Amino acid sequence: MSMPATDKTASQRLSFFGLCLLAVCLLLFSPLVDAEEKSARELPSAKVFNPAAELWRDVRQREAPASGKTQVGGVETGVLINATGDRWRQFRMGELIPIGGYVIGAIIVLLLIFYMVRGRVPIEGGASDQKLPRYTTYERMVHWFMASVFLFLAITGLILLFGRPLLIPLFGKEGFSIIASACKEGHNLMGPLFLLALVMVFFQFVRRNIYQKGDLTWLLRGGGIIGEKHVPSNFFNMGEKTMFWLLVFVGSLIGISGLVLVFPVLGLGREFMALAHVGHAIGALLMTAVIIGHIYIGTVGMEGAIEGMKTGYCDLNWAKEHHDLWATKAIDQGEAISNEAVASLKGEKTSTAPPGATIQGAGK
Amino acid sequence: MIGEFIDGPLWYFSLTAFVIGVVWRIVSIVRAGVRPDLSIARGSAGRGAMRTIFSRFVPERTVTTRSRLQLIAGYMFHVGLLILLFFAQPHIDFIAERITGLSWPAVPHWVFIVAAEFAFAGLILLWLHRVLNPVTRLLSDMDDHIGSILVFLVMLTGCLALAQSHEALRLIHLFLAEVFLIYFPFSKLMHAFTFVMSRGYTGATMGRKGVNA
Repeated sequence: MSMPATDKTASQRLSFFGLCLLAVCLLLFSPLVDAEEKSARELPSAKVFNPAAELWRDVRQREAPASGKTQVGGVETGVLINATGDRWRQFRMGELIPIGGYVIGAIIVLLLIFYMVRGRVPIEGGASDQKLPRYTTYERMVHWFMASVFLFLAITGLILLFGRPLLIPLFGKEGFSIIASACKEGHNLMGPLFLLALVMVFFQFVRRNIYQKGDLTWLLRGGGIIGEKHVPSNFFNMGEKTMFWLLVFVGSLIGISGLVLVFPVLGLGREFMALAHVGHAIGALLMTAVIIGHIYIGTVGMEGAIEGMKTGYCDLNWAKEHHDLWATKAIDQGEAISNEAVASLKGEKTSTAPPGATIQGAGK
Repeated sequence: MIGEFIDGPLWYFSLTAFVIGVVWRIVSIVRAGVRPDLSIARGSAGRGAMRTIFSRFVPERTVTTRSRLQLIAGYMFHVGLLILLFFAQPHIDFIAERITGLSWPAVPHWVFIVAAEFAFAGLILLWLHRVLNPVTRLLSDMDDHIGSILVFLVMLTGCLALAQSHEALRLIHLFLAEVFLIYFPFSKLMHAFTFVMSRGYTGATMGRKGVNA
């Protein structure tokens, strides 16, 4: 369905306004960043010899128990120096960051290759003149709420994880320090919203994501995206259901480990915090990789895939090709309505809607 | 240089534009007046106005059932924003230093964080409802979107500057707050003031007729 010209102009103006505001901010504040960076660069660097380094090395590497006795109350106050912290640091710098970077990079490259080989999956029968109602307004709200929060957290999280090697050459150390500080605060603040979105997504979509007969067939036949054979599917296919459960379980791990990291006052030790960090980062990288694939299918990978989430309605032929078990039921129940009726219900055209047709989610 | 401009002249200009603009809008509404009502009053217009101004904070049952999410998100956003704006320590310090010279107790940091979470969740959900619901989408114009986006950006940049470790982040927040102040009087954001007048007018009209509105 095409957007009316006025809406297009409005959204273009809106995007233009946003871009202009961003550009103005960048132009205004880049000299500030430069100035701060210059002043930092002008400071003389001095290498300070630490005479106690050998002592602390001995303390760290000694064979005695890590925790001693102390009258100071609190978590791990008896630990003079935390030896496992170095192991965590080495894992983060030496394995997590490079391997995580390669994984995310590889996913993007693989999708690019896949797109070049397979191209955009078209609606084989072409766009129909009828549509099926697929998502209510509330369902789309929940989805886009999760999407916006996840994207914000993914971008800020990736900057925090990979920013040092990638952004310092571009913005300098002072510039990156500002970006990293902003990302850290934003990431910590928006994190709990991810848990809220997760709860909303779970209760709204769980019923349709319980595995059913035929889901395994879908998986064994590669979901139809590989090869030419048609694969029957329900409202959600096996891939979507698996992504849902990944989001629920891995998302919970990410959310809970994130809370542990944001609230060190919960009384957990350093080793537990390090473990929470590793779980948080690996879980987030896994979900980011999965969501990159999800975005690929929704945007350039498949014709008509995003329409349901954008408008609430999907093309009838698309539904028959990708979710035929659900589509057949919906057609039998008389849910299919013409494109003109959908446009009319949305106020985009003046033709009359058929009797009994209802606008998706209006008033919900 | 730019920092000094944002912290100095632009701040005073935006504050002046905000105050003059708001006063001008309110005065123009008041001066428009109301038609003389020659009927015999069956109730108190003043009492009706006061009752409606406050009673409308409690939604009708139809609203609580049919628009529950908008209602919850609406309260989350407005209450959260109110706390952020007037009870966050940095804002109290800023207002005391630049405007009033008076300060008042701030909420604890954890309340500030919870308020921010509520405000963000409410604002995002309300804006998504605006663009995804076919009816509200048709009713919305550019002003609605600009207002929502500006409020979001001001809140976001404020939270990004929460560590107070970089002057540049504070200045970005202040700059956007100044853009917001300049935009405010010429937009629907004025409902922050005019809701009292619109509710009061309806309440007074109905109160005079002896109707409990």
